[in-house]
Amino acid sequence: MLPFGLLLLSVVAAADLPGSAAPPLRGPRLGSSAPVPAAPPPPSAPPLLLLPQSREEYGAPGVASARSAAEEPAGPGQEEEGGQHHHGGGYRVVQWEWSYVQTPYIIAIWLLVASVAKILFHFSQRFTTVVPESCMLILLGLVLGGVVLIASKKQLYQLEPALFFLFLLPTIVGDAGYFMPARLFFDNLGAILTYAVVGTLWNAFCTGFCLYAAKLLGVIDERVQADLMDFLLFGALISAVDPVAVLAVFEEVHVNDMLFIIVFGESLLNDAVTVPPSSSSVVHRGDSGGFGVCCHPGLHHSRFTKKVRIIEPLFVFLLVYLAYLTAELFSLSAILSMTFCGIGANKYVEANISQKSRTTVKYTMKTLASIAETIIFIFLGISAVDKSKWAWDTGLVSCTLIFIFVFRAAGVIGQTWVLNRFRLVPLDRIDQVVMSYGGLRGAVAFALVVLLDGEQVKAKDYFVATTIVVVFFTVMFQFPPFSLHQLFDLTNLSDFVSEVNRVLIWKFNLQSDLVQVRFLSDVTLSAVAAMPAGKREGLTIKPLVKWLKVPRSTSRKPTINEEIHERAFDHILTAVEDIAGLQGYHHWRDKWEQFDKNYLSKLLLRKSVYRKSELWEAYQKINIRDAISVIDQGGNVLTSARLSLPSMASRASFPEVTNVTNYLRENGSGVCLDLQVIDNVPGAKVEEDTETHHVLAENLYKPRRRYQSHYSRHFMPLGEKERQDREVFQRNMKSRMETFKSTRHKRHKKERSLKKRRGSDVKEDGSDKPRRNVSWQDKNPVVVPVESEEDKGEHSDPEKEEDVGITFIARKTETPKQRPKSVPAALDGSQSPSADPPSPPSGDSHLPWKGSVGSPPPCVSVEATKIIPVDLQQAWNQSISSLESISSPPAPTEPVHPRGSFCFPEKKKEEEEEEEEAALQEIQPLMSTLRPPRGPAARRPPPPPPGSGPAPSGRRRNPCVYLRSLVMAPPPGSGEPHSRGPTQ
Amino acid sequence: MGASQARTEHKYQDLADKTGLKKKRALTSICFMIMDFLLPHCSRENLDSIPALANNPIRKQIVEAFFDKRNQHQDEVGSFEEIGFEQFLMVMSHFRPPTLKTTEEEKEAMRKEKLRFLFNMHDTDNDGTITLAEYRKVVEELLSKSGAIGQEAAKAIADAAMLEVASTNVPHMAPDDFYEGITFEHFEQILKGLEMESRMHIRFLDVDTTTMHCGKSFS
Repeated sequence: MLPFGLLLLSVVAAADLPGSAAPPLRGPRLGSSAPVPAAPPPPSAPPLLLLPQSREEYGAPGVASARSAAEEPAGPGQEEEGGQHHHGGGYRVVQWEWSYVQTPYIIAIWLLVASVAKILFHFSQRFTTVVPESCMLILLGLVLGGVVLIASKKQLYQLEPALFFLFLLPTIVGDAGYFMPARLFFDNLGAILTYAVVGTLWNAFCTGFCLYAAKLLGVIDERVQADLMDFLLFGALISAVDPVAVLAVFEEVHVNDMLFIIVFGESLLNDAVTVPPSSSSVVHRGDSGGFGVCCHPGLHHSRFTKKVRIIEPLFVFLLVYLAYLTAELFSLSAILSMTFCGIGANKYVEANISQKSRTTVKYTMKTLASIAETIIFIFLGISAVDKSKWAWDTGLVSCTLIFIFVFRAAGVIGQTWVLNRFRLVPLDRIDQVVMSYGGLRGAVAFALVVLLDGEQVKAKDYFVATTIVVVFFTVMFQFPPFSLHQLFDLTNLSDFVSEVNRVLIWKFNLQSDLVQVRFLSDVTLSAVAAMPAGKREGLTIKPLVKWLKVPRSTSRKPTINEEIHERAFDHILTAVEDIAGLQGYHHWRDKWEQFDKNYLSKLLLRKSVYRKSELWEAYQKINIRDAISVIDQGGNVLTSARLSLPSMASRASFPEVTNVTNYLRENGSGVCLDLQVIDNVPGAKVEEDTETHHVLAENLYKPRRRYQSHYSRHFMPLGEKERQDREVFQRNMKSRMETFKSTRHKRHKKERSLKKRRGSDVKEDGSDKPRRNVSWQDKNPVVVPVESEEDKGEHSDPEKEEDVGITFIARKTETPKQRPKSVPAALDGSQSPSADPPSPPSGDSHLPWKGSVGSPPPCVSVEATKIIPVDLQQAWNQSISSLESISSPPAPTEPVHPRGSFCFPEKKKEEEEEEEEAALQEIQPLMSTLRPPRGPAARRPPPPPPGSGPAPSGRRRNPCVYLRSLVMAPPPGSGEPHSRGPTQ
Repeated sequence: MGASQARTEHKYQDLADKTGLKKKRALTSICFMIMDFLLPHCSRENLDSIPALANNPIRKQIVEAFFDKRNQHQDEVGSFEEIGFEQFLMVMSHFRPPTLKTTEEEKEAMRKEKLRFLFNMHDTDNDGTITLAEYRKVVEELLSKSGAIGQEAAKAIADAAMLEVASTNVPHMAPDDFYEGITFEHFEQILKGLEMESRMHIRFLDVDTTTMHCGKSFS
């Protein structure tokens, strides 16, 4: 009731709205009926001029505006105070344009009602666990239909077959096909086909013949004028299991996957077997032949949508829908064609489109499908109210109900018996019960029966009535109609049954074999089911499923180990079949996969996509997932450092990830191959600070930066979430690589380092894809250099590594390239304040947090490579180029000291106070100026004395800055720009 | 002579029992005897040269599994140089499907057996654990046919998988611990989610002449 009240309310509100909004709207505007809001005219514009303009403007969009413009003169009474506007009568601000908006308005209202109904039903968790949504919707439909009928004496809204088949059904089937677990479907294809074809035919013929027999016997009233053919036709209609109902109910029930796919697959495929009622009574609808045709051109297209991401989702929908329509066009089985197209689209299109489009497709499909489903059920209810459409005959109805159940059960049991001889995983009794119980009839049958030609099939009205009853009965009474636990407490029921079982077991002296007990339960169940209808109400599929402990499906995501072994299974089984010379299922599946990989995927997928295996994808996903969990747990997790590697000679423990570097420092060999090393030993405090910094930097998210507001119809801005994911991913990768690197450290000799480095470069390349979009302000660049540096310096002094994270940025950012720019700027004195700070105090170099905050993007210069030992150069170049692609151009205002400024601990003290003042300024220059020395020149062990670097000082206008720069300037020895590199 | 005949008969009956073909024991044992007599032994090269296997990324491991003594339901370690019908049958028996009649305990046993087979396949050096190196190798081979994915990726995946095993099985490791490798118990644990008994099996329905031919092709 509530929804209906809401509906009325909303109608009223909608009607009210224009009226209430009218006063403010008066003025030059045309009023609320204009489809396009008029732009507020410039006040100075002459009204006469404005009017024709706007008229023309509004004339185009639709009839209504034109009409309202034409009617303007008719309503002078509503004219507003603005005298300028009445030439010829003025405007009518509000007018009733119902006929114009009627259709979309009603549609929208219906959608609204459906959604509100859905929401309301889910308000009470407890309620929905007992009463399935579909029956509630039907009941709601009944009530709505009743109200409309009373109000207008005539049923206005019907479930029109055309509407159903062209719009509602495709959305549901498309959703189902697209998200169909293809592997499961094809694994069970044999069973599905059997049930769909043999089972449906069996049902159809048996029901038809038996109904005819019943008619001959006089059980069915004389008024039902139907011959054998009509009954057969009706039997075919009524025996098809309905995909909509099955989906609606089984998804709620969560039976196990196999059961679901069998029943659902059956419901999809038996559409091909049911009757096209418009043409007389041909029992076979065209087979699935055409479906392949529709898919392929479209699938291929999606390869090329990379540039126009925004229409990608549309492709999926159009493709699938076109497949449906095409099949309908040739009166083939549209459902079948759509299903297969959906499966194909899922495999090939989804791989091509972007992640976002995937999400869009997913949500849109689900939204459409659930709305369509809701509407179907409501309309079913509404249609049932209209008495003029059907005629009741008790005999026909009850006979049909009985026959349907009996033959369904018989068919399922018989086929299962045959199938179980062939199936790998036999279907046990429980499954059979659920399957026969799950033979739901639904809207498809109803729509088909409404489509029957009343001239040819005289008993159409009776058939309609019967179909409605059958649909209601299967959907509602096979599911809990009313709150179950009041009538029939579930626990009591099972207690009762187990009691019965115990008695039976005792009586027949049976062993308590599980199968037998289950069988007994079945017996009991059927006994309960045979109870009079009043008591039976409680027995429904949901509790039934629970009670029988039908294995429920689990929604758990597979772990990566499971993925690995899943794939391993396939290969093992194929191999064993091959060895045994058996051309079994796995053999053919493998053949198909080869074909798919070699031809189809190449044809249909983007290059970058088809090379990646699913395993890799799974790995990516899992990686991100557990990176998130790492963060959740505060970063204290197991890392690969703790896996024992056989090749690691002397293993020591790394209590904490962050301590790895400390450990390395302590145990590091005296040989230091890294040219950038500075031999100063940081004080305890500094070290501690560094530690803290690391912890903070690794465990905190970066502060949110300014938001780029930016609108484009064609591109969507990078989501916050995505950025976060990326960050998480990077962090995870980083910690992993760090630990691995640390292990490698010990293992590898110097000569192998080059090779390894290359390997790690590759890895880095692989992993830096997500980083690529990072804006230059992001801290991410910090991460990047660290990794590359680390890779590079694998064999370098361990001590170096600790600082790497902090330092390296600086080195990269300070580029000789920049110098030319910055120097003139400095001379002009036009530097921005942030640019002012001269070479940063040496202390900063040791205090990592200072350095890394707001560090500018690494700007890599070609010259930088010069310092690198020859053998490393290539790798270095690679990593640089990857970095370059990441980083945006350096800020021009940044004054970078050509002579790298060196920071030494001693200086730091002096600078401290100044730093406070110039905190803001420091940030960027700090980073850029500090670089670890590279090349032989950089190797000088002690930091140069303060004041050794005169060069930069000249530029500073700010006195204190000037002073500082004097103090701080690097020693002359460090004059070459590229050799500069004090570690921070 | 009678005694020896009885012994051989016993042997084949045993074989029939072990491979789970209890139903028509007498018949199968006779069949086995004949087969064993007819079929020549085959070596690794024979199996390797089966053309259908050429595309299988983990071919080596599977072929190795056929020659692994651990898969013979006896407590032997090592590997055969060549296997006869008996050994072949033993290995194949790991893939038998469950029937409606198998009880839960039997299913559990079968599951264990299958897992053990898998585990042995990965645990190449037979030290009771799958070490990181071994696991990496598995993943590498698994990915070896899928094109561009390099060794690094395979390694990363294996590492991630290993980490996952470690974190699920030993959630609270002392700081000094290392995860040595996957033991069989852990292996069981991580594959709990997979329906082994329903998945890792092959239905030998049309075991007819093709199988015979294949047997001959070993030689």
